[in-house]
Amino acid sequence: MRAAGQAGLRTRLSVGVLLCTALAAAPPLLAHHSFAMFDTAKRLTMSGTVTAFEWTNPHVYIEIDVPDEKGTVKHWSVELGSPSILMQAGWKFSDVKVGDKITVVLNPLRSGEPGGLLAQATVRDGRVLGNGPGRVGGQP
Amino acid sequence: MAGPKGPALRRSGPALLVLFVLLASHGQAQTPPDLSGAWAPYRGGRGADPALNPPPPTPIVLKPLYAKPYETRRAAEDEATKKGEPLGTAAVQCVPYGFPRMMAVALYPAEIIQRPSQITIITEAFSEVRRVYMNQPQLPIDEVPPGYYGHSVGKWDGDTLVIDTVGIKESVLGYQNTPHSTQMRITERIRLVTPDMLHDQITVEDPVVLEKPFSYTLAYRRMPNYKMVEFVCENNREYLDEKGAVKMKLRGR
Repeated sequence: MRAAGQAGLRTRLSVGVLLCTALAAAPPLLAHHSFAMFDTAKRLTMSGTVTAFEWTNPHVYIEIDVPDEKGTVKHWSVELGSPSILMQAGWKFSDVKVGDKITVVLNPLRSGEPGGLLAQATVRDGRVLGNGPGRVGGQP
Repeated sequence: MAGPKGPALRRSGPALLVLFVLLASHGQAQTPPDLSGAWAPYRGGRGADPALNPPPPTPIVLKPLYAKPYETRRAAEDEATKKGEPLGTAAVQCVPYGFPRMMAVALYPAEIIQRPSQITIITEAFSEVRRVYMNQPQLPIDEVPPGYYGHSVGKWDGDTLVIDTVGIKESVLGYQNTPHSTQMRITERIRLVTPDMLHDQITVEDPVVLEKPFSYTLAYRRMPNYKMVEFVCENNREYLDEKGAVKMKLRGR
C-alpha cells in the first residue's frame, strides 16, 4: 500500500495518497444516483480538520481542510450515504463535529476536483466506520 | 308447524347458502396475517437460505415501437457509465421514484401499517406513501388522475394480500426503467413466506407497451423495533450537466 517516494507526504500524515486498486471496494449499495463519477479503483487517504458535517438527505457530507507537507491547506468535500443507510452501518449524527481531526479514505471524483465518495472514516474516538452496509461496512 | 317450515326452508335454501359462503369468507377475511411493521429489502447473499430467495423475474417483452428507444437509452446509459459520466434520472433531482420502483430502493426499509379498511405502505427513501383501500372496487383507469402512486385497492385471498393499482403517470418509470402507458395495471400478491420474511410478487400488464405481462418478486425481512428514518431531500449536491451526466457540486472553503 505504501507508495515509494512519497515518504514526505506521509511524514505529516496529513495527506497520504494511496492507490490501492487491489483493495478497491465495490461502491456501497446506495440509491439516488449512479456512483460512476467516482473512481472506485482509486483510494485516497487523507487527514484533516472538519469544517462541516451535514447529516442530511439525500447524502451526508464531511467537509475537511487537509494540509499538505508544506502546510498549504486544500479543501475536500466527501460524500457519504444517507442518514438511514449510515445508521444501518453504525453511524450516529454526532460521530463527527466541526473541528474534529479525522482521517478518511475516499474514492476521488474522476474529474480530478477535490471531492470524493467515502470508503471509510476514522472518527475522533478511533472507530473506523464504513459508508453503509455494503461491502465497506459489512452486513448483508 | 313442521309442514310450513319445510317449503320455507326449501325456498330460502339458496339464500342461506349464499349467507354461509359470505360468512365463511368474512370469517377468513377477519384473520389475515399481520404485516404491520418495518421491512428491509432482502437480497440473499452469503449464508442465506436459498429457499427464501424470490423466484427470478419473467422476461420483459416490449412492443417494437417501445423496444427500440428503450434499448437505445439503456445502451447510452451503459456507455456513459463506462466513461464515468452516468446519465441522470429523476431521482438525481430529488424527484421521488413512485410506484413500483419505490418498493425496492437500495437498502431503504418500508413500513406497513395495516388496518382492516386501509393498508398504508411508507418507504423510507423520499418518504413515499401508498394507500391501499381494502375491499373496495377499483376505479376505471380513465377516472384516476395519473400520479406517482395511482389508485390501489386490496383484498385478502386467504393469507395473501392482493393489491390492484392503476393510474401511474407515464413519466414514472417502471421496473428496470421500463416505459408504460396510462393503461398499465399492476397486481401484487404479498404474503409471508416465513413469519419474518415477506414476498411481493409484482405483475405488470400493459396492453399498449407490453407484448405480454411480466412479473418479478421482491423479498423483505422483518426489522423488529426499527424506527423509520425521515428523508427530506434538502441538501442535494448532485446536478446534471449539459450532457445529462451526474455531477457533484463542491462546497469549497
